[in-house]
Amino acid sequence: MSLFAALAAATPTLLARQARAARAWLCHGIRLPLLVGAGLLILYPVLFGSPYHLRLLTVSGVYVLMVLGYQLIFGQAGALALTQGAFFGLGGYATAILGSRLGWGFPATFPLSISLPVALAALIAVPVLRLESHYFALATLGISQILLLVAIKWEALTGGSNGLTGVPGIVLFGAALPRGWPLLLAVWGMVALGAALAWRITRGRIGRAFHLMRENPLAAQSVGLDTGRLRLVALLLSAAYGGAAGALYTHTMRIVSTEILEFSVMVACLTMTVVGGRTSIAGAILGGVLLVHLPEWLRFLDRFYLIGYGALLLLMIVVAPFGLIGALERWRAWFVPEALPDAPPPRAPPARRPAPDIARDTAPLLAVRGIDKSFGGLRALAAVDLSVAAGEIVGLIGPNGSGKTTLVNVVTGVYRPDAGTVALAGQSIAGCTVHDIARAGIARTFQNLNLVDDMTALDSVAVARRHDGDLAAARGHAMALLDRLGIAAIAMRRCGGLAQGLKRRIEIARALALEPRLLLLDEPAAGLNPSEQRDLAARLRALAGEGLSLLVIEHNMPFLMTLAGRLVCLDHGQVIAAGTPAEIRRDAKVIEAYLGIVDDAAPAFGGAQPA
Amino acid sequence: MTALLAIERLTVRYGEIVALSDLSLEIGAGEAVALLGANGAGKSSLLKALMGLARQTTGTIRLDGEPIGDLPVHRRVVRGLGYCPEGRRVFPGMTVHDNLAVASARPARQRDQAVERMLALFPALAGKAAERAWQLSGGQQQMLAIARALMTEPRLLLLDEPSLGLAPRLTRELLDRVRDIAAAGTAVLLAEQNVAKALSVTDRAYVLQLGRLVQSGPSVELSQSPAIQAAFLGG
Amino acid sequence: MEFLQLLINTAALGAAYALVALGFVWVLNATSAVNFAHGDLVMAGGFVALALAGMLPLPGILLLPLVLVLMAGLGLVFSLLAFFPLKDRPPVSVFISTIALGIIVSNGASAIFGAEPRATPPLFAGGVVALGGLPGGLIVSRQAIAVMLVAALLIAVQYLLFARTQFGRRLRATAQDRDMAAAIGIPVDRMIALTFALATALAGAAGLLLSNSFFVSPTDGMNYMVKAYIAVTIGGWGSIAGAVAGAFLIALFDVMLPGLPALLPALGALPGADWLFSQTVATILLYVLLLVILVLRPQGLFGEAVQRRA
Repeated sequence: MSLFAALAAATPTLLARQARAARAWLCHGIRLPLLVGAGLLILYPVLFGSPYHLRLLTVSGVYVLMVLGYQLIFGQAGALALTQGAFFGLGGYATAILGSRLGWGFPATFPLSISLPVALAALIAVPVLRLESHYFALATLGISQILLLVAIKWEALTGGSNGLTGVPGIVLFGAALPRGWPLLLAVWGMVALGAALAWRITRGRIGRAFHLMRENPLAAQSVGLDTGRLRLVALLLSAAYGGAAGALYTHTMRIVSTEILEFSVMVACLTMTVVGGRTSIAGAILGGVLLVHLPEWLRFLDRFYLIGYGALLLLMIVVAPFGLIGALERWRAWFVPEALPDAPPPRAPPARRPAPDIARDTAPLLAVRGIDKSFGGLRALAAVDLSVAAGEIVGLIGPNGSGKTTLVNVVTGVYRPDAGTVALAGQSIAGCTVHDIARAGIARTFQNLNLVDDMTALDSVAVARRHDGDLAAARGHAMALLDRLGIAAIAMRRCGGLAQGLKRRIEIARALALEPRLLLLDEPAAGLNPSEQRDLAARLRALAGEGLSLLVIEHNMPFLMTLAGRLVCLDHGQVIAAGTPAEIRRDAKVIEAYLGIVDDAAPAFGGAQPA
Repeated sequence: MTALLAIERLTVRYGEIVALSDLSLEIGAGEAVALLGANGAGKSSLLKALMGLARQTTGTIRLDGEPIGDLPVHRRVVRGLGYCPEGRRVFPGMTVHDNLAVASARPARQRDQAVERMLALFPALAGKAAERAWQLSGGQQQMLAIARALMTEPRLLLLDEPSLGLAPRLTRELLDRVRDIAAAGTAVLLAEQNVAKALSVTDRAYVLQLGRLVQSGPSVELSQSPAIQAAFLGG
Repeated sequence: MEFLQLLINTAALGAAYALVALGFVWVLNATSAVNFAHGDLVMAGGFVALALAGMLPLPGILLLPLVLVLMAGLGLVFSLLAFFPLKDRPPVSVFISTIALGIIVSNGASAIFGAEPRATPPLFAGGVVALGGLPGGLIVSRQAIAVMLVAALLIAVQYLLFARTQFGRRLRATAQDRDMAAAIGIPVDRMIALTFALATALAGAAGLLLSNSFFVSPTDGMNYMVKAYIAVTIGGWGSIAGAVAGAFLIALFDVMLPGLPALLPALGALPGADWLFSQTVATILLYVLLLVILVLRPQGLFGEAVQRRA
C-alpha cells in the first residue's frame, strides 16, 4: 500500500480520535459554558462596535485586572484587605501626574504605576499582615482613607478634588494609541497577561499552599509553609495588579480625580470578586464585565446604581457565597457528575536527606527538659521531661486534661514554654516558629483532623512537599506516600466525604511528606475499628523500623501496648510515671490517675495491684 | 412509673464520625447516675445531645414521657434540664452574683432570694458575690458553674467532667456536693473519667466504650469489677 | 476662654461619638461581628429625624423618642437581612453583608434626600447662652449643652439597663458565651435581635444629636463607622468603658486640632497653617494614630490582647 493510501486510510480514525479527545476535554467541569462565554465576550464588541460599547468593555477590562489582583489577597490568601482601591488609585495618580505634569511616556509611567503600590504594600505589610482579620481590614481601610484625604488636600500635586486633566493616552514607540479598538485590545492584552500569571500561580504548588493556608493556617504551618510570607506575596501581587489597572484606567479616561480613591471603587472590586467567584479567573472576568455593565441596565436607578450593587452583593453572599462560577461548578457536579480523573503514577521520593552527624546511641533525637507552661492561672505543664531516641516509639498517656496535647503544642512551636528547653538532635528549638520546626524535621498529626474538605487526598499530601520543583513532581511523590499507607485508591477523592480511618492515614501521609525525623501523632487510633487499628499499628512499626521516631498520644491502650516500646504518663501537667508498657500498666500512680482511688475505707479496685 | 429521662436508640454523628451508637438508658427522678468511659467514649456527646447542642442525632429523648428532641436548647432548660459543660464556661466578665442571677427565670425578689440561698449553699463562693468570674480559681469556677445550673431549677442536672483540671482534694469536695444535690431531689447524670470518685457518689452507673454501652449496674457492684479497669487500661 | 469653649465642644462631640461607639461594641460583643454599616445607621438616624421634623414641627428632644423607636425597628430588619442568614458562616460573610447593606442605606438616603448636607432641628433651641461669673464671660451654644446632657442621659440609661436589669444580664451573657447562654435558658436569637435593635436606636439618637451642629449628608456613614471602629480599637476591642474613652479621645482630635490656632495664635501664623489645622488633616492624623496603635499596642488601652495570626 502506498504511503498516500495508508495516510488516507488512517485519517478517519485519527480524526475520530481527535474528536473524541476534544469532546472529553470539553465535557470536563464547566469548560463548555466557559468557552461559550468567552466566545460571546469576543463577539460582543464585534457586533456592537460603537465607541460607547468599546469604551464600556475597555473599562470592564480594567476592572477585571484589578479583580484578578484582589483575588490573590482576598480569595487565595483569605485576607479581607480593603486596600485594592488604594492601589488602583495610586497607580492611576502616578500615571496621571508623571504623564501630564512631567510628560513621561508609557514605558516609564506604567512600571512606576505598578512599583509605587507595591512599595506601599511592602511598607504596610509587616505591621499590618500579622493582625487578625477585622483589625487587618480596619488598618487597610485606614490606609485607603489616608490616601484619599491626602489626595484631596495636596492640591499642588494632585489637583485636589478637581483632579488632573490632559492625561495622555498610551504612547508606545512615539505613537499614541487611539481610543476604540486599539485601546480595547491593549487593555485586554494586559488582562490576558495578568490572567495567565494568576493561572500559573494558582494552579501550581503555591495555589495548593494558599488553599491550605486560608482554610487551616495551623495545618499549613505544621507542614512547613511560611504563612506570613505567603500572605505578603499575595498582597504585593495584588498591589501590582491594582496599580496596573489604575494606570490603564487613567489612560482610558484621560483624566484623574479623587473619585478613583473613594471607597466605592473598593466596594465595586469586592462585589465583582464575590459575584464572580473569589478564586476563579473566569469569575474575575464575569464579575468585572457584568458589574461594569450593570449600571447601564439599571438606568432607572440613575446615579444610584450602587444600590443595585449593594443588593446584589448581599444576595450573592447569602445565596451563592462561591460566586456565579462557583455555583455553576457545583450545579455541574450535582446534576451531571463526572468520573474522577486518573491519579498520576507514583514517583519514588528521592533518598532521604542524610541526618546530621549524631551518634545514634548516645544523644536522644528529641530532648524535652523541665518544661513549664501556664495559661493565665492554670498550670498546664510542670517540669516535664521527655526524650525520644532515633527509631524509638514512645507513647504519651494520661487522663483528659493532663496536658498531653499541650506538650505536643510546645514541642511543635504552637506554644512557647514558660521555662525549660526543647532540643532536636542537640539543637534548641524552643521559641522557633511552627513552620521552622516543621522544616527542621518534626511533623505532626492532629486530634481533630486538620484536612481541607474540598482538597483531594493527593493534593493534601502534595502541598507538604516544599522541596519538589513543581506540582507534578510533588504529586508523584505524594502518590508514593499514599501507596505506602495503602490509600492510593482514594487519591483523587476530596477529603470531605471520607471515613475517619482514611482521613487519619491522609494526615499521616501528609506528615510523612515532610520527610521528618520525628513524627508526633495525636490519638491516631480514634474512630478506627480494630482491624484498622491493627493495620495502622503495623504500618507505624514499619516506619519506625526505617529510623523514624514516633511519639504517640493515645487513650486506646490495647493499640498503644502493641506499638510503643516505652510509655510516659502525664497527670495534671506532670510526668508521674515512665517505663515499659507492662510496668506502666501495674503502676499504682497511673491507675489512680485514671481510675481514682477513694479513701482507704472504700473497697479497693478489683484487679488493681499495688506497685 | 415513667422514668424522668428515657433515651431510646440514640445515635450521634459528627460528620463521618459516629460518636454514639444506638444508646438506650433511663434515669428516674432524684437518681444519681454516673456515666463512665475513656476519652472519646461518647460521654460528652451524650450530654450535648440531651441539651440539643449536637446536630446530627437520631433516636428519641423523652423527659417525663414527652419527646424533647425537636426543642431548641433554651426550651429544654425550661422543661427541666440543667447543664454544666466541660470546662465550666462561666460568664467571665460578669460577677458571681450576675452569673447566678442571669440563670434564674423567677421574678426579681424571688430571684434575689434564690441567689442568696445559693451563695450560702456553696461556701467556696461566699463573700465573692461581687467578684468577676474570670478572677476565680478553677475550683471556685466549677462550683459557680454548678450553682448556676442549679439556679435554673432543673429536675435533671447534667455534669460534664466537673473534676477536669482540678486538684484531687477539690474533686473530692466537689463530688460530695453532687451527692448532696441528688439527695435534695434533683436527678444527676455525672459524666466522669475519675471512676472511683464518680462511683462513690452515685447510685447507678453506665459504662461507655467507643460510643456503645458496654456495662451498667449499681455503683457499688461496678466499683468491684475488674472489667472497668480493663476498659480503661487495656487487657 | 476659647479653651473652655473648645473643651465643651469636645465634651459634646465626645458624648455623641460615645453613643455611636457603644452601639457598635454591643453588636460586636453579642455577635462577634463587625457591623460595617453602623456609621450609615447613624446617618440614617439623622435623616429619619429630618423627615420627622418635616412632618411634625417639634424640637429635636420630642422627636428623639420617635427616632429611637423607628431606628430600633430598622435595626431588627437589619439583623434579619445581614446577620441571621449568615449566622453560621465565617465572620467575614457578615462583614461583607453589612458592607452591602451600608451601601444600600447610604445610596438610598442619597436618592431620597439628595446629596446636600442638611441640618436637623436643635434639641431644645438654638443660639447661645452666656455663662457669667467668668472673666470675659463664657459663650456656649445651647445645642452643645443639650447634646452633652441628652447623650449623658442615654449613656446612663444604657448603663443601668445592662448592669442592673435581668434583661441586661441576659444580653451580656449572650455576648460572652452564646451557647452557654442558651444552655441556661436564654433565647439567644431573640437577644441578638434585640441587641441590634438597641444598638441601632442608639446610633439613630447619635445621628439626631450630631445632625444639627454638624449637618447630615448621605456620605457621612464611612466617617462615623471608622471613628467608632477607632474608638473601640483604642479603648480595647469589646470593652465598653474603653469605647467611651476612645470616643472622647477622637472628639479631642476633631475639635482641638483645628482649634489650636485659636488657642495659640503663634501657630496660626505658621505658613500653611490653615492647611495643617484643618478637619481633613485632623482626620488623617487620627488614622495615622490608629495605625500606630494597631502596630504598637493592639490590645488598646483597656482591652484584652488582640489575637495575632498563628
